[in-house]
Amino acid sequence: MKLIELYSVTKIYDETIVPVKAVDNVDLQIDKGEFTAIVGPSGSGKTTLLNLISGLDQPTSGKIVVDGTDISTYNEDELINFRLHHIGFVFQAYNLIPVFTAKENVEFIMLLQNISKSEREKRAIDFLDAVGLKDRINNFPTELSGGQQQRVAVARALASTPSFVLADEPTANLDSVSAESLLDLMEKLNKEHNMTFIFSTHDEKVIRRAHRVIQLRDGKIEKDVLMN
Amino acid sequence: MLFILAWRNIWRNKKRSLIVIAAITAGLSCGLFASAVMYGMYDSLINTTIDRELGHIQIHSPKFEDEKIITDTIPDFQSVVSNIKNISEVSGISSRVIIEAMCSSPTSSRGVKITGIIPDEEKKVTSIHNQIIEGNYFESNIPSQIVIGKKLADNLDVKLKSKIVLSFQDFDGNIVYAAFRVSGIFKTESSIYDQSVVFINQRELFELLNQSAFSHEIVLRLKSFQQVDSVFAKLSKSYPLLSVKDWKLLSPEIKIYYDILDIQLYFFMGIILFALLFGITNTMLMSVIERIREIGILIALGMKRSRIFVMIILETIALSLVGGIAGLIFGAIIIAIVSSTGINLSAFTEGLSQFSISTVLYPVLPLTFYPILTLMIILSAIIAAIYPAIKAIKLKPATAIRTY
Ligand SMILES: Nc1ncnc2c1ncn2[C@@H]1O[C@H](COP(=O)(O)OP(=O)(O)O)[C@@H](O)[C@H]1O
Ligand SMILES: [Mg+2]
Repeated sequence: MKLIELYSVTKIYDETIVPVKAVDNVDLQIDKGEFTAIVGPSGSGKTTLLNLISGLDQPTSGKIVVDGTDISTYNEDELINFRLHHIGFVFQAYNLIPVFTAKENVEFIMLLQNISKSEREKRAIDFLDAVGLKDRINNFPTELSGGQQQRVAVARALASTPSFVLADEPTANLDSVSAESLLDLMEKLNKEHNMTFIFSTHDEKVIRRAHRVIQLRDGKIEKDVLMN
Repeated sequence: MLFILAWRNIWRNKKRSLIVIAAITAGLSCGLFASAVMYGMYDSLINTTIDRELGHIQIHSPKFEDEKIITDTIPDFQSVVSNIKNISEVSGISSRVIIEAMCSSPTSSRGVKITGIIPDEEKKVTSIHNQIIEGNYFESNIPSQIVIGKKLADNLDVKLKSKIVLSFQDFDGNIVYAAFRVSGIFKTESSIYDQSVVFINQRELFELLNQSAFSHEIVLRLKSFQQVDSVFAKLSKSYPLLSVKDWKLLSPEIKIYYDILDIQLYFFMGIILFALLFGITNTMLMSVIERIREIGILIALGMKRSRIFVMIILETIALSLVGGIAGLIFGAIIIAIVSSTGINLSAFTEGLSQFSISTVLYPVLPLTFYPILTLMIILSAIIAAIYPAIKAIKLKPATAIRTY
């Protein structure tokens, strides 16, 4: 089942002196349940591609269809609402609101979705439990390790019941042990809940964990390989 | 949760927030104190005027108001007095005879207003008896006593026990001369009053004029200042043919003061808040700029821009209210402390006595001031927040997230 479809998508940054073609005429399809890595050297367009898929950025040309809806025509407000209900985000680092505890961080996304207080609390605890942080729910981000913070971010992403989770270099700021265990967690959630994960990385060890690897170079797909 | 977020956010940069909070606290408490001093002056002006001469409510014959002629008496004044005595709010009632007269000493003469009183009744209404500096206030039974002001005594060059002569027209237009002996000299806050008003026993006036008791002026004092409006309304209805006036009507210049003082003080506080507003805006702007990435993440996650806007506004209100409420409390404490001792203005008494302000000033503020100021603080916070909030909602999430 098609989850994400990109047709001739191009993104040009033209506010710069020399316009940059960050994503160059990309056609791509991602199915439900995939565990896919977008890889490539720094500056190859990974972040830009993920931002286009998540509606954080709009393509210069081309069509992006997510969950059957064409988001390339959405305006900013529609995109905000789309992101809130369809996409779980995990960013590279400092994902969390520093003045909120782990539980409050997870709850907050559900508050934005207008979910009732009791439901929010219950789900926040469940998801923090699922990422192995049951005993850290009342800790503030500064009291958690980098790996634990990323787990909270994963819990937050799942709590919004998204169609898929996008993670832009989620392990870039982690030591290799934490990176491994974050991937273990993501893979487990992928397997047990059939949750689609799309993550970018340039770390060889992380790449090896992906089920499908899409390799970018200069904004173009250089290679698209299924692993096993 | 948005409130928790706002509240915790203001404590992230404690030092910076505390500086603004301290500025707001200082600005507001000083402003509040200055307002209370102004209010206290005004209060003292009203109270001294009421205590000295006006009382709370006065009743005259309508004609007396215009012409001040001796024959314009209050018809059937005794029944008016006895009726009013039954009103529970009334704590004192004095029926006065008012006659314009010439007052002469061997060396000089001056125009004065004779106030013929029943001393024991007058004492319950006005406070001249407390302001006697020489002699006493009709304490002995000696006939022909007169109590005059210090300034008049100086003008006429008379002392205690000096003889002075009053001359005035009787009911038929003939001039009456009568000699009195100064038995008391008073000094009030108003030098104008002190040189123009003399008191004698009204019984002696009736004898001099060969008349049975009459009255030009009925003055009443109520148990509390707050009862004036209701009693005034009641009396106006009961005596449509008489002229019933409360202190505001009796002293229009005080009333004008009364009307504009509040507006003046709110305006004054508004200026202080306006000045503080720039500091608040600056602080919030710094706070937004420091959090570009964080706000970007919130927008990325799907937080509506209107909610981001509200979040920044709430933070600003929280910040301002912490300082604001501290300022109000602090100001109220200063006012309470200072007004328990009063500010001694005796060094400036000469100048102030022209304005009828007493020498010890008690700063006060009506309680309604506080909630209205709280609203003004919130309003200022909202105004201060607009620019930083607009900055925040204009952030592009994709770019903001790349900002570290
Ligand atoms: N906002 C922007 N304005 C101009 N150029 C940009 C912007 N964002 C990214 N780029 C450029 O687009 C290219 C792709 O960047 P990016 O998507 O961040 O790559 P990656 O995530 O693979 O490092 C780079 O050359 C980068 O400099
Ligand atoms: Mg990147």
